[in-house]
Amino acid sequence: MADILQILILGLALGGVYALMGSGLSLVFGVMRIVNLAHPSLIMVGAYVAYWAFKLYGVDPMISLPIATVILGAIGVLLYKLIFEREARSAKYSEMTVLLTFALAMVVEGALGTAFTNTQRVTSPGYATDAFFIADIFIPKGQLYAGIVSLTLITFLALFMKYSRFGNAIRATTQNREAAELLGVNVNLVGLVSFAIGIALAGAAGALVSFILSFFPAKHWEWIAILMSLVVLGGMGSILGTVLAAYILSVVAAFVGFYFGATWSTLTFFVALFVVLLVRPQGLFGEKPELA
Amino acid sequence: MTELLEVDGITAGYGDGPAILVGTTLSVQPGKVHCIIGPNGAGKSTLLKAIVGMLKVRQGDVRFNGESIVGLRPDQVLRKGICLVPQERALFPKMTVRENLRMGGYSLADKSDLERRIDRIEEQFPILKERRDQHAGTMSGGQQQTLAMARTMILKPQIVMLDEPSLGLAPKIVAEVFEIMRAMAADGITILLVEQNALMGLKHADWGVVLDLGRTLFEGPAKEVLADPRIQELYLGGKRAA
Repeated sequence: MADILQILILGLALGGVYALMGSGLSLVFGVMRIVNLAHPSLIMVGAYVAYWAFKLYGVDPMISLPIATVILGAIGVLLYKLIFEREARSAKYSEMTVLLTFALAMVVEGALGTAFTNTQRVTSPGYATDAFFIADIFIPKGQLYAGIVSLTLITFLALFMKYSRFGNAIRATTQNREAAELLGVNVNLVGLVSFAIGIALAGAAGALVSFILSFFPAKHWEWIAILMSLVVLGGMGSILGTVLAAYILSVVAAFVGFYFGATWSTLTFFVALFVVLLVRPQGLFGEKPELA
Repeated sequence: MTELLEVDGITAGYGDGPAILVGTTLSVQPGKVHCIIGPNGAGKSTLLKAIVGMLKVRQGDVRFNGESIVGLRPDQVLRKGICLVPQERALFPKMTVRENLRMGGYSLADKSDLERRIDRIEEQFPILKERRDQHAGTMSGGQQQTLAMARTMILKPQIVMLDEPSLGLAPKIVAEVFEIMRAMAADGITILLVEQNALMGLKHADWGVVLDLGRTLFEGPAKEVLADPRIQELYLGGKRAA
């Protein structure tokens, strides 16, 4: 029983971080139909910001998190203006973005490798290697804090989307771009802002990931596979779906890791991806694909 | 009679593609229900999209209250007082009915004024009040069309353009939708209706316009257009289900 509770807690804490990593990806796809394969590479940039802030100046990742968020948000604005805006009306936009973001991911990876080498890094504030003990159950502080911060940010995002005027405009644009435009929503601005928010969330996720997982520039390929499975299981473009998928899959992965060995735990995500595409291709909250 | 909206020989099409409208002309009289009919591909929807600025007008002019609105963005045209309800899915299916109505007044700056306007719409259409917190996409087709039309009234526009409001609805529901349209007209809103179902559309209109291959073939009082033998032969094919 203690084992099960223990695994559940670890799975949920990591699930929160995956949820944050995936929610930005989901937002960007939902509004702009951009399949952002570079999302994890930008998370990686956020991780390096937190890493160097700690290494050079002793800044705690929790403090550098807002800095990474702002820096990545600004990078998001630049990327959108330079790359994604000009082709936004193209009929094959989603397909084009797969290629564009694939290339972007390689550029980011190359730049990070050149600047910081391919050494494995991990930010090491005191709590990253500390834990709480409640009876027999141990809760690593790093994962717990990261999970709580993630959940807080996701809650803010959800409240913003549900109750603010601009959040409503983002949701409206996601659901029916043409109708939103006809009602006076500046869909270009919505595209820019939601892209920037998505990338800013990647920055926040990066700061958190930096002390719970070791990283090096090429590791983002591993993350994209996991994040894509979350987005597909959640239903393309549904942030709530992505968040739920993150919690479900990372708990399942934790159990798989415990009973069958850590090697198998990553496989959970791919098996889930495979099963979802076979059984329910629209995911948990996605639209049924239209036949017409 | 002065014209509220005047489309003056416009040419327009999608992207860099061929022109769908080739010198289309249309004049809209205030307070009336106008019905544009014509076969598939005649350019009916394209005309509405060109008026609101979703498509670029390549030649010709569109004047609203005597002022050119060519080159304006859809949100600017909306602010002038022209509202388009696009074909089929005009709603945000995963937002509640109330949220959909609120989006209808997105361009209003005064929030409490918006809420007051929404309350009035809810009084007028009790079904929308009843379904207020339900996702729009889970309502029936007729209720969705009601919501889409009611939503335009929040802005108190001068012209509402309806693109095939009867599409995919049962005949009984279609009658209800046209009743709402007549009620809007009675409120002083000028209606520009595009209908595939020509017979049904003309029956509920004051003025009929026949469009084909991007050109205005002829127009006149709806009853006369309906009775015109050319129409009977060309578009209604004698008996089209109403």
